[in-house]
This record gives sequence, structure tokens and C-alpha cells, in this order.
Amino acid sequence: MTTKYMEKPSNQVLLETADEALIQQFRDGKKEAFDLLYHRHLPSVYRRVRYVIPENDVEDVTQEVFIAALKSLPSFRGDSKFGTWLRTLTNHKVAEFYRKRTRKQEPLLAPLSDANAHTTGSTSKHLEERVYIQRALQHLPENYREIILLRFAEDLQFNEIAELTHQNLEATKSLFRRAIAALRTHLDD
Amino acid sequence: MSQQNEFNDPKKDNLLADFADRVMEGTAVQIASSPDEELVSLEKTVLRLNDAIPPASVDEASVKQMLVRLKARVRREEQAATPSLWKRLFDIQSNLQIGMILAAVAVLVLVFISVPALQPGGSAVSGTAFSGGNILIAGGLITVLVLVYFLSRRK
Repeated sequence: MTTKYMEKPSNQVLLETADEALIQQFRDGKKEAFDLLYHRHLPSVYRRVRYVIPENDVEDVTQEVFIAALKSLPSFRGDSKFGTWLRTLTNHKVAEFYRKRTRKQEPLLAPLSDANAHTTGSTSKHLEERVYIQRALQHLPENYREIILLRFAEDLQFNEIAELTHQNLEATKSLFRRAIAALRTHLDD
Repeated sequence: MSQQNEFNDPKKDNLLADFADRVMEGTAVQIASSPDEELVSLEKTVLRLNDAIPPASVDEASVKQMLVRLKARVRREEQAATPSLWKRLFDIQSNLQIGMILAAVAVLVLVFISVPALQPGGSAVSGTAFSGGNILIAGGLITVLVLVYFLSRRK
């Protein structure tokens, strides 16, 4: 009975399993462990991607992040937490998206069709403003962009951000103000 | 230097951070009335950011659908990356091992076909278990088997 339980863990047991243990299970051939990692981390990856990528490409880029994670998991060394590693992977995929767009010489402010506005229920002006801000975010120094994403896209509290970035709370809030000031400058340009 | 002083203002840092917290909680939809123009300007930027890209969440059903689509995409990419069996078999340049096996089999078949012709006056009763032809076939088979064994070990 116990052996059977251990061989096929219930969803509840899996839900309580740490990321590192799930990664090990995945390496041992339990492919369903990846499904749980996906369920656990998709919301934060999706929100981060959605914050910096035009709406039509959000799912595509999000999926690319997880495909890259799937391919790299066997070599994941665990030097950092899985969430941190995934965050870095997401940033790489976002940068890659913009590199490809630049190479194709597609305008970052692509013409916004009426179809876009209808599907999202937003006005064309609102979508343009969104793309404009996303472009400004891409031009910020990495540490500025990162703190804005952590606060607004991932909805982390300032004390959580401080812990994550190994800074004290005051330094984190100071960085946040400088980041917003830099964003304002880019938006005013 | 003046820029350094401008940013060294913990009080302003706290006020802006508190404002951002209230915006994220949905309790601040307007800028706070402050005599500090700089702070007001930064609060406007925070509001502008939040209005343009409001917070969003992904529901459980969407997560499941996206996982299904991810798996389908991974399968498609794997299929696209794996050439068909026939392509692999006949792509001798890129797969020398299979090429060698095919060559060995071809030689064996040639030997098998030509053995009766090489035996003068061969008849239905002339063959024995130790005839030259049979030894040749057996030798060829063993060679192929040994070749396959070593090639599979190399993989």
C-alpha cells in the first residue's frame, strides 16, 4: 500500500513538492512533474511577458520560455532557485523577440488593426499607448526594468523584491524611484 | 552632484513606493495632492504605466489550455526535427553506420545469388551442411552480425 502510494503520488503530494524535487522527478523520467512546474510558474511568466511584449505575441513568447526550460531542465544545476532561473530565461526570450523584430526591420509600433482593438475590447489609442510604454521599458537599463517588472508585472511587495535582489528595503525603494524617473524621461522624449 | 542629491531622498522614495502599493491594491486612482512637483510627476508616470498595462491574472482553465497547446507544439517540433525512417535509411552520407550495414547486406545477397553458379555440375543432392557455398553464406552472416553488434555498441 505504501509502496504503491510512493510510486504514484497523488496530486496533493505533487502540489506540495518543492520545485527542486519536481525537477529531479522530471530527470528521473516522470514527465508529469513538468506539468506541475508549468502550472506553478506559468502565471508569473505570463504576466511578465505580457508586460513587455505586444498582446498578439504574448502566448507565443511564453510558450517559447517553457520550451527552452523543457530542453534545459536536464542540465539545470540548481545554482539559483528555479523561479529565478525561469525569470532570466524569460528575459532572454523577450530580448530575442525584440532582436528578431529589429532584424526583420518590423516597426516596434506596428500598425494596430481594428481587429486587435475588437478582440481585446480596448481602443486603438489604448493599445498604442501600451506598445509605446513597452518600447520605453525595453530601453531602460536592466536593473530599472527589472524592479518595475517585479513590482507591477509580478506584483511582488517591496520587501519581497529586496529579499530577492539581496538589497535592503531603502535601497530597493530608491532604485524604484530612479527607475520610474528614467521611464518618465523615456516617455517624455 | 545635484542629480545625486536629487535621488538621495528616502522620504520621497517611501512616498512613491507607498503610492505604487496603493495603485496595485486599486485604492489610488488619482495622484496624491503634494506640493512636490517631482513626486507628482513620478506618480503620474506610475498611474500611466498601470493604466496602459493593468495587472492581469491567468485562470486555471487558461493554464490547462496553454499546457495542451505547449505539448502539441513540442510534439510538432520533435516530429519536424526527426526525419522519416526512409530518409534516415537512405541518407548514407550523414549516417555512415547504416550505409555500412546496407553495403554488407548487399554483398551478402550477391554472394548468395552467385553461389549456385559457382558450383560446377551442382545438383539437388550435391549440397551438404559443409559445402563451400554454405560456409560462405554462414561466414557472411556472421560478419554482418559482428558488424551490426559493434556498430550498435558504438552508438
